[in-house]
Parts: sequence; C-alpha cells; structure tokens
Amino acid sequence: MAHPLKQLRDEALHEIGSATDEQALEAARIKYIGKSGSISAWGERMKTLDKAERPVVGKLLNEVRNAVTAALETRSAQFRVEKESGALAKIDISLPGTPHEIGSLHPLYQMHERAIQIFRRMGFALAEGPDVETEWYCFDALNTPPDHPARNEQDTFYLPDGRLLRTHTSTVQIRAMESAPPPIRVIASGAAYRRDEMDATHSAQFHQIEGLYVDENVSIANLKGELEFFLRELFGSETEVQFRPHYFPFTEPSLEVYVRSKALKGGEQWIEVAGCGMVHPAVFEAVNKSRGDNAYDPEKWSGYAFGLGMDRLAMILFDIPDIRLFAQNDLRFLRQFA
Amino acid sequence: MKFSVNWLREFVDLPKNPEGIAELLTRAGIETKNIETRGANIDKVVVSQITASSQHPNADRLTVCEVDDRSGTKCQIVCGATNYKVGDKVPLALPGAKLPNGTEIRKSKLRGIESEGMLCSPIELRLGEDASGLLILSPDAKIGAPIGDLFPADTILDVEITPNRGDLLSHFGLAREIAALTGKKLREPTPLRTADTTVAGVKISATRECPFFSARKIGDVKVGPSPQWLRAKVESVGIRSINNIVDISNFVMLELGQPTHAFDADKLKGDINVGLARDGEKFLAIDGRTYSLKEDTCVVADQGRAVGIGGVMGGEETAVTDSTKNILLEAAYFLPASIRRTARDLNVSSDASYRFERGVDPDMILRASHRAAELIREIAGGTPAKEIQVAGELPANPADVSLSYEKCDRVIGVTIEPRTVDEILTRFGLKKTRSTRLRSSTARQARKTGTWKIPSYRRDLQRDVDLIEEVLRAYGIDRIPGRTRGGFMPASPADRSHDLETLWLRERLAASGLSEVRTSKLISRTTSAFSEGAIELRNPLSEDHVALRPSLISGLLEVLERNARAGAESVSIFEIGRAFIPPSGEEERHLAILLWGNAASTPNWRSQIKRSLDLFDLKGALECVIPNPSFRPGKFPDLALAVEVWSGDQRIGFGGQLSASKSSAPGSVFVAELHADLLLESESAKKFQELERYPAITRDIAMIAPEKLTHAEILRVIEEPKGPLLESVQLFDVFEHREGTTSGPAGKSVAYRLTYRAKNRTLTNEEVTAAHAKIRERLRRELGVTLRE
Repeated sequence: MAHPLKQLRDEALHEIGSATDEQALEAARIKYIGKSGSISAWGERMKTLDKAERPVVGKLLNEVRNAVTAALETRSAQFRVEKESGALAKIDISLPGTPHEIGSLHPLYQMHERAIQIFRRMGFALAEGPDVETEWYCFDALNTPPDHPARNEQDTFYLPDGRLLRTHTSTVQIRAMESAPPPIRVIASGAAYRRDEMDATHSAQFHQIEGLYVDENVSIANLKGELEFFLRELFGSETEVQFRPHYFPFTEPSLEVYVRSKALKGGEQWIEVAGCGMVHPAVFEAVNKSRGDNAYDPEKWSGYAFGLGMDRLAMILFDIPDIRLFAQNDLRFLRQFA
Repeated sequence: MKFSVNWLREFVDLPKNPEGIAELLTRAGIETKNIETRGANIDKVVVSQITASSQHPNADRLTVCEVDDRSGTKCQIVCGATNYKVGDKVPLALPGAKLPNGTEIRKSKLRGIESEGMLCSPIELRLGEDASGLLILSPDAKIGAPIGDLFPADTILDVEITPNRGDLLSHFGLAREIAALTGKKLREPTPLRTADTTVAGVKISATRECPFFSARKIGDVKVGPSPQWLRAKVESVGIRSINNIVDISNFVMLELGQPTHAFDADKLKGDINVGLARDGEKFLAIDGRTYSLKEDTCVVADQGRAVGIGGVMGGEETAVTDSTKNILLEAAYFLPASIRRTARDLNVSSDASYRFERGVDPDMILRASHRAAELIREIAGGTPAKEIQVAGELPANPADVSLSYEKCDRVIGVTIEPRTVDEILTRFGLKKTRSTRLRSSTARQARKTGTWKIPSYRRDLQRDVDLIEEVLRAYGIDRIPGRTRGGFMPASPADRSHDLETLWLRERLAASGLSEVRTSKLISRTTSAFSEGAIELRNPLSEDHVALRPSLISGLLEVLERNARAGAESVSIFEIGRAFIPPSGEEERHLAILLWGNAASTPNWRSQIKRSLDLFDLKGALECVIPNPSFRPGKFPDLALAVEVWSGDQRIGFGGQLSASKSSAPGSVFVAELHADLLLESESAKKFQELERYPAITRDIAMIAPEKLTHAEILRVIEEPKGPLLESVQLFDVFEHREGTTSGPAGKSVAYRLTYRAKNRTLTNEEVTAAHAKIRERLRRELGVTLRE
C-alpha cells in the first residue's frame, strides 16, 4: 500500500485540478499546505518517527510539498490567463489610436532640405547673403554693366536708397569669393525677386539654390557630371538630363539644364530646371578688384556656377500645379506634406 | 522673333521637317518656342475675278455672282458675303475641292439657283481668323492660278534669341548660324553690294549716341499697295503691310537685320542733323503718341525740329503717305546703350529699337540701304540718287581674340583636336590670322595658340571663353561625358546656422503640432504696428507688395484670415524667415508663431475637454524652442495682452494676445515673434548629467490662495531658500472658486507636487517630512494661504 503522504498528494493534485476558481484553489492550498494543512502536519509528525525512517519520509514530504505547490501555481496562472483574455476580448481594437497632433514643414522647405542633403554628400558647404543687395553684387560684379538689358527698373525692385532686392542668388557667389580664396565649393539657398506679374508659374518672389565650385581645372564635364548626379539623386536614377547652350552675362559658356523622366508628370516633355555655366573671367576679375589681390586668377582657376529654381523643382517633385499655392499657405495644402 | 522656314531656305538648306529645324536650333541654344504651319495648298481652289453680281431672286441675304476663273466659261456662284465689289479677285473653290475644315464642295442649288462652287473667306482656307467676308486678293493675282501660289505652304518658327545674339535677328543672320552649325553652304539672296558714298547733306552732332548715319535720296516713287509676294512675306512673320515703301523697309530689316527708315523728303526742311533733343521737346511719332523728349534723347532732326527718335521711331509729320513723291532713306548705327536708355525713358520700343539695342552689323548698314533702294526702284519705280550721303565713322571691327587649344580642352573637359577647333571657328566666320607656340615653364608641352579675326556681326565674341562656347555648341554638349569630382569643405557658419534652425526650431515646432508657412517678404501698406516703418520699394508692382516686412506677423495674420474663411477650426502656424528692420533694412532671421481656435483641430474620443488655444499654449510652444525661457509683462501697440520673451538674461522677442480689432477671425489670436539669430547663437552640444541613483519621495501641497497671488510668488516662497533635498516643484492643479459656489474662503485652489531627493543616499520619511513642513510653514506665514490636508 502507498505511503499516506503519496495518497495525500494524489488527493491534493486531484482537488487542484478540479478547482474551478481562485477561491476553490485557495481553499485547497489551505487544506493541504496551509499552516495547519494535512500535508504540513507531517512536518510535526516527523519528530515521532524512527531515526532510520526520518530521512526517507523527509525526502518524500519535500517532494510532495513541491509537487503540490507547483500544481497550485500552474493552476493559478491558468486562471489569470483566462481572466485576462476574457477582459481583453472585449476591447474594440478598431477604435482609432490616441491622436497626436503633429505639424508639418512647408513643401518649399522640404525641397530645400532634400537638395541640401544631396549637395552636402557631394561636399558642398552652405553660404549666405542678404536679400537686400547693392547693384555691385547683383549686377556689376556679375559682368552685367549698367546699360545691360537685364538691368532695369522694369524687372528689378529698387529701394529708395538705390539698393535693390536681389534678382538671383548669384550675388552669394561674389560674397563667397570675396571672403575666401579658392578652392571653394558652396551652395546658397534663398529668396530672389523679380518684377513679374504673378501667374500659375511666375511669382515676384521665388527661391533658388546657387552653386559655385572654383578649383584648378574645373571643366564643363565636371559641371555636367555633378548636376546630372544631383538631378538623378533628386528625381530618380532613370532621369534624363539635357544641357543646352544659353546666355547669361556671368557665365561663359552658359547652359540651360532640362530633365525628362517617365516617373514625373509631363513624361516625355523636357522641363527646364536650372541655368549654369563656367564662371566668366570678368566675374573673377571683379572679385579680385574688390579683394585687392589676384586670388582668383582666371588663368589659374576655373569654376562652374549654377542656379536651380526651388519652386520649380518642388512643383515637379510634388506634382504641384500652381506656384501661388506656396504663398497661400492653406492648411489643407500644407498638411498634405506633413 | 518669328521666322519663315521658306524664307530661311532661300539662304541655306534645312532639314525637311520643321521639328528637325527646331531641334537643331534648340540644341545650339536658340530656343524654338512655337512651330506653326501656314499656307493654303488646297486642290481646286483658284484665283477668280467677280465679273457681275445680282440679287438672289428668292433670298434677301444672298447674291448671285458671275465669276471668271479662266477656264473658258464663267461660273455662277451663290454667295452670302457683302464685302466685295465687281472686279475684285477672290478665291474660288471648285466642285471637288476639299477645304481644311472638311467641307467638300459640290455643285448645288441654293434656293432654286444653281451654284457651281464657293467663294471663300480667310477662315475657310485657314489663312486667318476672319469669317465676316470673302478673302479679297491682291489686284495683281493671276486669275486661274492655284491659291497655293499666293499662299504657299510655310512653317513659322517662333524663336527666342538671347540678348547677346543681335546678329540672329534676321532671316539671313539665322540662316548664317544654321549654315555654321550644319556645315551647309550659305547663299546670298542677291549679291549684297553697296553704292558710292559722299560726305554731304547729313551731319552728326551726337557722335557718341550715333557714330554713323547714312541717307539716300530716292526720287519719283509711286507709293501704293505692295505686290502680293512682298505683302505675304512681311505678314507671314507678323508685320502689318502698310504700303510698298514701308513694307520694303520692314522686309530688308527682316531679311538682313538692319532697320531703315523712309522720310517724305519734301516735308524735310534742309539738311539732316543727328543730335540730342531739347529737354521737354514734344514729338509726334508714327504710332500716334506724342513723346516728351529728354535732353539725352538722340534725335534725327532737320533744320527746324526732330523728325525721328534715333533708332526707335520716325515722326508722323514726315512719314511716307500715298502722296509722297520723293523719299530720304535712312540707315544708321546707334549706340545700343543709348537706344536702351531712350526706350526705357520714353517707354517706347519698336522692331528697330529691339535690333539697335542688341547691336547691328556695321558691315551690313550700307548694303541694306542699297538693297532697299534697289527694291524701291523695282517695286515703287523710284530713282535712287547715285550716291549715299554719309556722316560719322562705322564702329571699328572687333578686336582679334587668341585661344589656347589647351585651355579649350581644360574648360570643356575633353580633348578636342586643334584641327576640329579650327574647322568649327572657321565655319562661324572667324579667320585665323596667326598660330603661335608658347613655351612656358610650367606646362610640359608647348601651348599652341591661335589668333582669330572676329566677323563684324559677332561683337559678343570678346575673350577666349566666348570662342570656347562656340566650339562647345558646334561640337555638341552631349558628346562631353559628365565627370564628378570630390571635394571637402569645412562646415561654414551658414551650415551651423541651417542645422540649428532645422533641429532647434523647425522640427521641434512641427513635432509639437504647428505647421510651417512661408509668407511674402513684401507686404502691403497697412497701418498695423507690425509693419510700422517698413521700407517701401521705389517701384512696387502691386498694392499688395509694397514694402519689406519688418515683422512676420502681418503675413501670419493673412494666413489666419485665409484659413478661417476656408472653414479651419484651428490654426497653429509658425514661420522662420528674414525680416527687414527699419530704417536701414538690416536683415534678421525671425521666428513667429500664431495660434488661434480650438486646442485640437478635430474632436476625438480620448479627450472630451474642448477648449480654445490660449496664452499658455503659446508659452508652451515658445518653451519648446527657447533655452532658459522667461516671460515678463510688456507693452506692444497691437497686443491687448503683451509679454516680453526672454532667454536667460537676453530679451529675444515679444508675444501675447492680439487686440480684437486687428483680426477679423472670431475669438482670440495669440502671436509671438522672436529674433531667431539670438536664439541660436548660444547653442552648443549638451553635456551628460549623472543619472539619479537613489529614489525620490514626492509630497503634494494643496492650498487655497487669494485670487491675486501669482504662481510666481508661490513658487518663489517654495524655492527660496532652496533646501538641499528639494529637487523639483510641479504645479498640477489650478481651480478658480467663484463666490457662492463653495463653502470655503474665496480664492483659488492650487496644488503642487514637490519632489525630494538626495544624491548620495536613500531619504528617510522623517527627513522629507521635516523639509516639507518648513515649506508649508513658509507658505502659511509669508503668503497667508490656507493649506489643505
């Protein structure tokens, strides 16, 4: 016949197994291994046993107590799991998440930031210049003499004191070269102004990124390669880039840059995105004159410069049909780019 | 400028299809904006003459015409037009003709009368927009000739010529460029010659503005309509036909690029002098406007008055009319800068001024004059004087330009054989006068240099880089492989400033729920305090954009109005951008914030509290971006409630609630504007602080305080003197009692949570209780608040 402890163990395990709730389980615990439980009572009884019998029964008592304790824990965990899943089953997980009101950054800023990130990987540093400029920075130093067609009150906003709102960010080329000798590799982003009537594609205020790279032996091939790299990074590797000769007073040769990509709206159409060229020697000479040295010797240094229309690029990239949307700041528009 | 492809073909062979021509030009930097096909090459439409006309017996609005088409028998046509007279020549569509609009012509009966074809209006032949009447043809049109002979098929290219290429503003000039680009031969229409000259009869006193002037007398002209070919040619490129003399002048300009002007010689008094106008002198020009001339306006004058604004426009009084018998034909060179100034000052421009501004070819002046004289002899029966009267000097030929082949390679970035460079430049009309080999100490190889004579019409070629551009255009940019070059640049102040602006301001504000806007830097002339003293432009374009903004807030208010009108319930926006501080216009980077409307833009199920955005939302947004922020009471004209905004010990801006009168949006508007440069200049990398190792104990204090007692005063009493164990104080409840609603004393309930901690040990309850009791005692004693247990 089995030892009575084993019998007690089997009874306890059976009762634990058939307990239907936490209370029944607790009752079983008290009944068997509580302070005065029937299994616990064997602890007292040990003292009355033979010396020889004691270690055997002691070991058995331990095993029985452990087995019952483990069974109690397992059963209790089962109850907790059942209770938890019961409660959770009622939750409607289709309810919306607690809303976080996050704001948005202006699409023009996002465009600038994308462009800047690419140019920084290409090793360009940022440069800056003011919006209100003198004629020297905007025209004279950029090989655009007073009687040049590009230079008149029809197209340029003037302040009463004779200063003007820069018509392009090329002014920063001059400021950058005045402040540091070559080699120089900078981009400058900012606003420019022209006395244009506003329509879907023209604005009196617009945004440009200007680039300038002056070093030994900088060539058209470099200008081409680097702008191609930039435009493919921006619009995708399948983007086609075309350069066409053009005229700007401050570059020679001068080029216009067009892109075409099936991924962009307009598909087969070439879209103009930039003007660029090799820095005109007269620009270097003007810089030397104001620096008072010959740091930008046109026979020793050559450089390229470019100007990208940020509004235009953003319109292409984000598929925005009208430039005026940028200035209207309708929140329904802005939130689309959050 | 518009170019006729047929006309260009007279001078050079062109690709068959117009798209090919456009592509060729565009790739060479001459952008084709538009291609338009013209002409009426329609079968079975012929020139006919109306020989008789009578009323249709059964229809008031129709007539029955008898027309002659030289087919042997006259046809009978029913016609609805009224703009003709018997004897007029008109286009006749015969049975079987198919008009461009798809109409097929058949013999038919109209109200019982047989009609053997149709007389056509311009729109029916797609020769114009006019649908009101028949197309009346020139009297010299040959009866029976196909209409296509009069209106040959043509393609019109609308081409954008860059301002440096005045030499392309004529059909001959553009053809010359195409010949150079394609290597095809250039043909002269008729040999371009000149006549003998004599220095007599004309004088120049303004030699700077007008270095060279010529005039040729042509007697016994018969002024009348132009022959069909001449009229068609000038009209094809958008110039209105006036009479044979004016049309010839325009034709020569369109063909050769040199403007000429014909005066009625009998209306001129004495010799011609080219000089400067009297200030304020009135001048009636052929455009019908009276101009008030300036003292630096260059004029062509006779002995009494100005008869032409030099290089811009002739005068009405001396213009050629139907009764003109003798003419004086002007061809001259005017200084481009002077023409530009005059055109700008007088706000007038013409096809002539457009060309003089960009520089005409000095070599072409007398040849163009002679070409015009010969055409006048042919067409208007005039007798040109044997000699052309001249004064002044033609501008000198452009200086020679030297080009090193090595530099050409260096700038373009590929090696181009000197032979190829020479061949390209020669095609562009340059002549190599010298070849030199410079041995320099730095270059390993001798530098081969060519010296080039520049043709008179290419004044834009002044330096070696100008020649390199020509090589590049003809060689083809597509053939230059792109090559990238690395480069490293240290971060500039602009780099750091950009990054701080992005990390500290933009991203934080967007993360806390505000949307970035960009408003105009040019603002309207308003009376708001936010635009006070704004620097106004000398030449604004519109009333909305008159002055440079000294503050960003007026822009944000416009954004608010627009969005409130569009139905927004909440507007939380910011802008970072330049402001122009009067009176000097010094540029500062500003950050401005505007809050209006509901605290949450849409109601949501987690938060039932509905409240409006208020001053504390504004403070919260500012505290996100300002290091060591503090706010002090302030005053600002358009704010009902104003605070100064401080960072550390520097005042960096202001904020507050807008006066109700300053915005039409309902409810309160909160604005703030900071000088962001000040905000960002102090930023540096943050330093690690040891993490707390021992637990904190928190205790709450709830009290009823007099209504006027401020949070700042309570906080000061809690924190001063600051016990060593007090780590932080958090206000977590404020409740205003209204009298009669509670049993307690009038005032407000406020509650603070105080956190105690020691750096080096676990605090005991007793220590905290002692420290806390001191603070409670101070509050009671110094502020007289009622503490709640």
